[in-house]
Amino acid sequence: MSLATKAPPGHFSILYFASASSYTAKDTEHLPAPLPVSKLFDRLEEKYAGIKSRVLESCLLTVNLEYVDMPDDGSVGLVIKEGDEVAIIPPVSSG
Amino acid sequence: MESANASAAALRAKIAATEERLKLLKAQLANIEEKEAEEVEESPVTRKWPLLPDEYKRYGRQMIVPSVGIQGQLRLKDASVLIVGAGGLGCPSSAYLAGAGVGTIGIVDGDIVETSNLHRQILHNSSTVGMKKVDSIVSYLKSLNPHLKYITHPTHLTPQNAAEIVSQYELVLDCTDHPTSRYLISDTCILLQKPLVSASALRRDGQLIVLNSPPLPAGDAKGGPCYRCVFPKPPPTDSVVSCGDGGILGPVVGVMGVLQALEGIKLIVEGRLKEEQEVDGRGNTMLLFSASGSPQFRSLKMRARSSKCVACSGNAELTLEKLPGMDYAVFCGIASPIGILKPEERIEAKEYLELEQDSEKTHVLLDVREKVQFDICSLENSINIPSSSFQGTRSSSLQEGKPSWLPETVRADASIYVICRLGNDSQIVTQKLKEAGLDNNGKRAIKDIRGGLKAWKEQVNPSWPEY
Repeated sequence: MSLATKAPPGHFSILYFASASSYTAKDTEHLPAPLPVSKLFDRLEEKYAGIKSRVLESCLLTVNLEYVDMPDDGSVGLVIKEGDEVAIIPPVSSG
Repeated sequence: MESANASAAALRAKIAATEERLKLLKAQLANIEEKEAEEVEESPVTRKWPLLPDEYKRYGRQMIVPSVGIQGQLRLKDASVLIVGAGGLGCPSSAYLAGAGVGTIGIVDGDIVETSNLHRQILHNSSTVGMKKVDSIVSYLKSLNPHLKYITHPTHLTPQNAAEIVSQYELVLDCTDHPTSRYLISDTCILLQKPLVSASALRRDGQLIVLNSPPLPAGDAKGGPCYRCVFPKPPPTDSVVSCGDGGILGPVVGVMGVLQALEGIKLIVEGRLKEEQEVDGRGNTMLLFSASGSPQFRSLKMRARSSKCVACSGNAELTLEKLPGMDYAVFCGIASPIGILKPEERIEAKEYLELEQDSEKTHVLLDVREKVQFDICSLENSINIPSSSFQGTRSSSLQEGKPSWLPETVRADASIYVICRLGNDSQIVTQKLKEAGLDNNGKRAIKDIRGGLKAWKEQVNPSWPEY
């Protein structure tokens, strides 16, 4: 998150915490908007092979600091808009 | 040399004897002070004061904070808090709770203090290495605040003992280090209606959540969410990284432990431990800390309990009777020691020693630890390609034929030996190299060095630095 720059036009920001950051080797990046949340994991899987089962499926997903559910009924669900801040938050269990 | 050893031994014995004597003197003093306190309490003139003279002085600076006051201080004195885990989170959180005057503090931990704990587990010290963590931590806490009752549980929390231990307290702090204990503690707190402050930290990241607050019975939608509401699915076992494997910065886990104590103190002084207290839903947030972030702190709004939660929703089937039979290791996926290779695909560290002297370049030693570890210490002539670079299907470290990391001077049939810190990652990489066809249909041997550099230290070179 060292890079706290605003997303360029037509993009949203995505923050990777903990193991999501290790897996992508990034703290943050910008992806093209709009994007339905239901498509987000597939989009990330294309970029980072294996991330879905290794990281994303046990994560908390937030859009603009509020958490959202992955639609499980086949509907589109929430659509991520230009300028939104999405965060992928895996459980951290150590201490 | 011999005489130096002898005088060192004599000094050690002297120090031990002096420490023993010091302990005795401290115990005597504590005894006298306790009697004094009792006498003061019994005197009719002073009986109207609810705190001891020393306690007014000790807690004065926090009692004059308007949100605490004498009422808050008396609530702290009456409160009992269980701290599960006497490590990087448990040390700072218990120190602040003891400092604040929480009347009863229980500590659960089955481990002993190790030198590798000391950079972050700030209540242990070099002289308590080898001691039970619960004893080390309580000896510090007693010297910090002798007015409190400390209870040690020198065991790990298990589904069999959890209810019995947790039921003795009003508030629980989860300071543990594994998904299995996080789900167990959350479930137990739901069943016994105890609020739970859960914190965690790894590398430069931390998380803090107040759970089951207010602590209403399962099925009551007004109760606070539990750990399963937030993280219903545990992470894959082999992706769970411990502080021992992934590393941890002391101040990162320290700040999380301090914040955990703060949330605990707030719940107590605001009178929010019991379900009957009126609650306005404040404080139900998840706090994320990232040392490299900007901002470093982010606060997420939590939602209500999940209607699908298997622990706290109306459909939950969890009961106190079922708890001892729960298998959290199965739920989280069993982390059995990795053994994916055949015996002939592995060699012992001492067998590799004989090959090491080989000057004909008939083999390559591949060290798959992360670079940061390789930089600390490495074997001569080893090549460092971190195991993480073999992840994914399009990894450039796995080009068929001859990958770029194989030196030009190496013969095409040269064997590859793979080593890592403990001998797990090296097996996975060995298998991946073979699957990628680097063994040229069996012409090139690719083998794992069993037990990694830990075995190298044990079998070959005792001076190898263990970090």
